[in-house]
Amino acid sequence: MFLGTLVYGIVNSVILALVALGFNLTFGISGIANFAYGALYVLTGYGVWILLNEVGLPLFLAAPAMVVLTAMAGALLYRVVLIRLRGMAISEVIATFGVGLAVLEFFRYLGFIGFEYTLPPLLDGSLSIGPVFLDLQRALIVIVGVTLTGVLWLFTHHTRLGLAFRGIAQDEHTAMCLGIHSDRVAMFSLAFGGGLCALAAVVILPIGTISVDAGYDVLLEALAVCIVGGLGSAVGVIVASFILGLAQTYTAMYMGSHWMMIVTLVAILLILTIRPSGLFGKQKELEERI
Amino acid sequence: MLQVSHLMVFFENALALNDFSMEVGRGELRGVIGSNSAGKTTLMHALSGLLIDIRIKEQRRGGERITLMGKIHYEGEEITHLPPHERVQRGIVLCRERHPIFPESDVLENLKIAGYLRAREETRRSMEFVFDLFPVLKSFRRKRAGFLSGGEQQMLAIGMAIVAAPRLLLLDEPLLGLSPAMQRHLVDAVQQIRSERGTTILIAEQFARPILPLLDYAYVIENGMMTLSGAGPELMENPEVRAAYFGV
Ligand SMILES: Nc1ncnc2c1ncn2[C@@H]1O[C@H](COP(=O)(O)OP(=O)(O)OP(=O)(O)O)[C@@H](O)[C@H]1O
Ligand SMILES: [Mg+2]
Repeated sequence: MFLGTLVYGIVNSVILALVALGFNLTFGISGIANFAYGALYVLTGYGVWILLNEVGLPLFLAAPAMVVLTAMAGALLYRVVLIRLRGMAISEVIATFGVGLAVLEFFRYLGFIGFEYTLPPLLDGSLSIGPVFLDLQRALIVIVGVTLTGVLWLFTHHTRLGLAFRGIAQDEHTAMCLGIHSDRVAMFSLAFGGGLCALAAVVILPIGTISVDAGYDVLLEALAVCIVGGLGSAVGVIVASFILGLAQTYTAMYMGSHWMMIVTLVAILLILTIRPSGLFGKQKELEERI
Repeated sequence: MLQVSHLMVFFENALALNDFSMEVGRGELRGVIGSNSAGKTTLMHALSGLLIDIRIKEQRRGGERITLMGKIHYEGEEITHLPPHERVQRGIVLCRERHPIFPESDVLENLKIAGYLRAREETRRSMEFVFDLFPVLKSFRRKRAGFLSGGEQQMLAIGMAIVAAPRLLLLDEPLLGLSPAMQRHLVDAVQQIRSERGTTILIAEQFARPILPLLDYAYVIENGMMTLSGAGPELMENPEVRAAYFGV
């Protein structure tokens, strides 16, 4: 019983980390809080569903196609809207939230409501960890989460574009003096954030249903993780995901699942009163972002 | 190599550079000498293109109005309104004032980021040159740049500019806040960069004493206007310069 909760708590934590990774990457590089993030998540879900059920593509094509398309949507969001608002945080938030709202509510308007909107799991079957049974899709989520975190670390520390990301994240003017194109990097940061969001959607959505409301929930979860961990901090995302993920799962286990959301909200309030910059936030003398 | 003609820069209605003209020939070491808020950084920003970026961003957010008039030519081409990354591609690299480095990255990573536009092999060779020039950087390869001392950070900042492979290197107050010994070390390094890499260099400074004798030519700037110019050693003898910049 305790072990089972632990296993599912870890899965839940990885889900939170996966959901927050893209949001955090974009913010860490360009300082843009992409409030259209939840909409991108849902866009991927319905997109894959449409490609599978209306267009008839196989899953192994539909999923990567939507990851690419969602990344492009992120890039477009920068090129068309955000480029004119750079540096004005409030306007960025309002604009991205507005775009997200429009996308999400458009899906509702089109009638994408109901339990038939589900994605097939990428892996079928289950495995057992001692007395605990875990379906393979959840196991896959953990594997993807761990791999993605590693790949992302390698990418930002060892590739040309990744290093440019780190440069712009730390000092835009200095990076520009070294030939790094600031607007292009910011656009890539939204594209990568969107792509990561889509990857998360593709592996996580099969264990539930796709709904418009999931867009709002995902945004809230990503925000909660980033606020608790410290906006822009990669280590913060991972630590905060585990704190929130385990707390949520144990609360659901011992107090009922409708208490889960309370955990998130209380965590946000607590951290904002005790340590407003988050556990690994900017106010630390030096920190590792993205 | 570089010609600046009748450059004017306004921040709103305040004139930061007033009808400023100068030039730098290939292989030369030239300087712009001026006290606080004389307009040195404004000039460097205009030359590196940073001013263009700042102006665009201010415009987008409806902030301060920055006006730029006059012309900047580099290798026969007008670059007055080119964005910074295109100027770096053409070989103009600015090392900003107050040792700009990436504080969270270690020394090695700072230099790697600086090699963004260069081939890996070229970056590796440039790094070797930098480590020969500033051996302390080599021993601090794995140290976070934010934890280096001011002088070490300045060496790193110059090292990063070198890795970006400048043909025209712009240095904005490289000696600011450094001890006399460190200043001499940096002045030696500047000469070595010039002699070993054939880099053309333009330095902006307010501490004229250590650098002025070495300058092929120097411009004295006050309130955005050029007041004097001449060969470095010649200006050393000028009583006005001595009074204003050496306190004698
Ligand atoms: N972004 C800006 N907005 C308004 N005024 C500015 C701006 N940047 C510079 N100035 C003004 O332009 C003038 C020249 O400034 P600049 O930074 O070029 O001086 P400086 O010679 O580099 O001085 P220092 O030695 O102190 O670095 C100053 O009066 C300054 O206040
Ligand atoms: Mg200055």
